Amino acid sequence: MLLLINSISLVQFKNYPQRNFSFSSRIVGISGPNGTGKTNLLDAIYYLCFTKSYFTRSDSFNALTGTNGFRIEGQLEHNGENYKAVCILRETGKKEFMLNGNAYERFSHHIGRFPCVFIAPDDVRMITEGSEERRRFIDAILSQLDPEYLQRLMNYNKLLLQRNSYLKSVSENRLKDTSLLEVYDEQLSNDGSYIFEKRKSFMDECLGLVTGFYGKISGAAENIELKYESQLHKLDFAELLKSTRDRDLYLQRTTAGIHKDDIQILLNNQPFRNIASQGQRKSLLFALKLSEFEMLRSHKGFAPILLLDDVFEKLDESRMHNLLSWVCLDNDGQIFITDTHQQRIKEHLETLGALYQLIEL
Amino acid sequence: MQFSSSLLEDAVNEFARLPGIGKKTALRLVLHLVKQDAALVQSFGETVLKMRQEIKFCQRCCNISDADVCSICSNSMRRHEMVCVVENIRDVIAIESTQQYNGTYHVLGGIISPLDGVGPDQLNIELLINRVQKENVQELIFALNPTIQGDTTIYYIQKKLQPHSINITTIARGIAFGGELEYADEMTLARSLQNRVPVERFVNY
Ligand SMILES: Nc1ncnc2c1ncn2[C@@H]1O[C@H](COP(=O)(O)OP(=O)(O)O)[C@@H](O)[C@H]1O
Ligand SMILES: [Mg+2]
Ligand SMILES: [Zn+2]
Repeated sequence: MLLLINSISLVQFKNYPQRNFSFSSRIVGISGPNGTGKTNLLDAIYYLCFTKSYFTRSDSFNALTGTNGFRIEGQLEHNGENYKAVCILRETGKKEFMLNGNAYERFSHHIGRFPCVFIAPDDVRMITEGSEERRRFIDAILSQLDPEYLQRLMNYNKLLLQRNSYLKSVSENRLKDTSLLEVYDEQLSNDGSYIFEKRKSFMDECLGLVTGFYGKISGAAENIELKYESQLHKLDFAELLKSTRDRDLYLQRTTAGIHKDDIQILLNNQPFRNIASQGQRKSLLFALKLSEFEMLRSHKGFAPILLLDDVFEKLDESRMHNLLSWVCLDNDGQIFITDTHQQRIKEHLETLGALYQLIEL
Repeated sequence: MQFSSSLLEDAVNEFARLPGIGKKTALRLVLHLVKQDAALVQSFGETVLKMRQEIKFCQRCCNISDADVCSICSNSMRRHEMVCVVENIRDVIAIESTQQYNGTYHVLGGIISPLDGVGPDQLNIELLINRVQKENVQELIFALNPTIQGDTTIYYIQKKLQPHSINITTIARGIAFGGELEYADEMTLARSLQNRVPVERFVNY
């Protein structure tokens, strides 16, 4: 059932004019000074799983400076079958994604085939910043598990844009005919209710995992709670939109819906982001990400590819060891770990006693 | 591009204004016309001019027409109780090419998309509603591309027609043709016309 990436070849991708990498082991350490392209290599792997970058929305930013296109080609293996995944950004700005030579008509159909979890230094924003990052976290997991979720989420976002645009086009109080608004409300409710139900049961499942991992990583007996906040707990979607219609018309945008959802995080009954220390934040970030990993693993029946970027900078030795032994030894998925210090990463991987490969950039 | 003749240059510029025609292609077309018999080119020009000046839109279905009412609407052999609702004239041509459809049409002239500045008022929806009210229409077949905006348009028209009891169906969408109606091959299109399904309250993906 194992999912493995055996090699990747990059052409004009970020800082790589042309470069091939072979991955001969389940655990791959990547070392090199800052700016040598460690994160970029992980992002290229992410591309093959998600058809896009982990960091930027614009594909053209990822073409080597001075060029307009790039190519990422990977050889993967799953369940004993080989796959060739190719992502090309043409000079014209058109992106193509092919699996075994067949171009996808919709990139979204690829999502979830090669599940993958990225942990990057800036991800702590998920805890400290606005709700969008936390929705993105839920959506990334559910989209990989449920193609219908992803489809409905994309529909919902398109409908939201149309509805908002329609609200702007009718000036206040001049809406004589509410038919079109009612149609948008029905369409939004239909997709939105599905998304809400999925998020709700997801959060129920996630909570236990997160508290478990948090305890394991921090080694402390702190009480972590996650609460799924949504206006839909109280009203069903159609009623909700009805109740906010006047306000929506006045403000010319859709003020209620699953695009306002959030996860409230509590530490010993207080808002986590107000009282948590750096260390606690990092522990929680890893707990969230490892829950993502575990959720994907248990639903898919095999471990996702894990991309750990600069994790040694983020946690102290003992926490790090707890984490590494769990991801490397208790799981059979493929793991990529980057670090600026070759010696440090080597020592960590040695103490684990598992086979590993070290790539120096 | 440098021209030794402004007559040539003007003609090239006119051709280059057509969709999908660049300067180079325009030059090739114009040079081709230069080589042709003057009478042939005259007939070419007159045909285009006459087409533009005399073309009409059918008052009933908004299809392109030579007369006030198009040849499909005025054909008594066709089943007038069946109306196929399409986005544009190219869709009419695509469906007619299948030779499998014997009803009439209604051309909306687009689909509802406020993001693109298209609301219901910009489309021939009112006319369709009136048509259903006045004529003995028994079935509306929606042949719109399978997009969110297509769905919105179907639901909107369905809502507007709610007091009337007519059959509202949609051609098998999404599976039958990938993408644009006009690019669907005739077999697939004919099949999806035959396998039309009732519009439920919501189309399930
Ligand atoms: N589109 C691009 N073209 C050329 N170089 C790029 C591009 N995007 C990023 N880089 C370069 O990649 C380097 C950063 O690579 P990164 O993978 O973040 O390094 P590391 O993780 O090893 O510190 C920087 O020097 C940056 O200038
Ligand atoms: Mg880096
Ligand atoms: Zn007509």
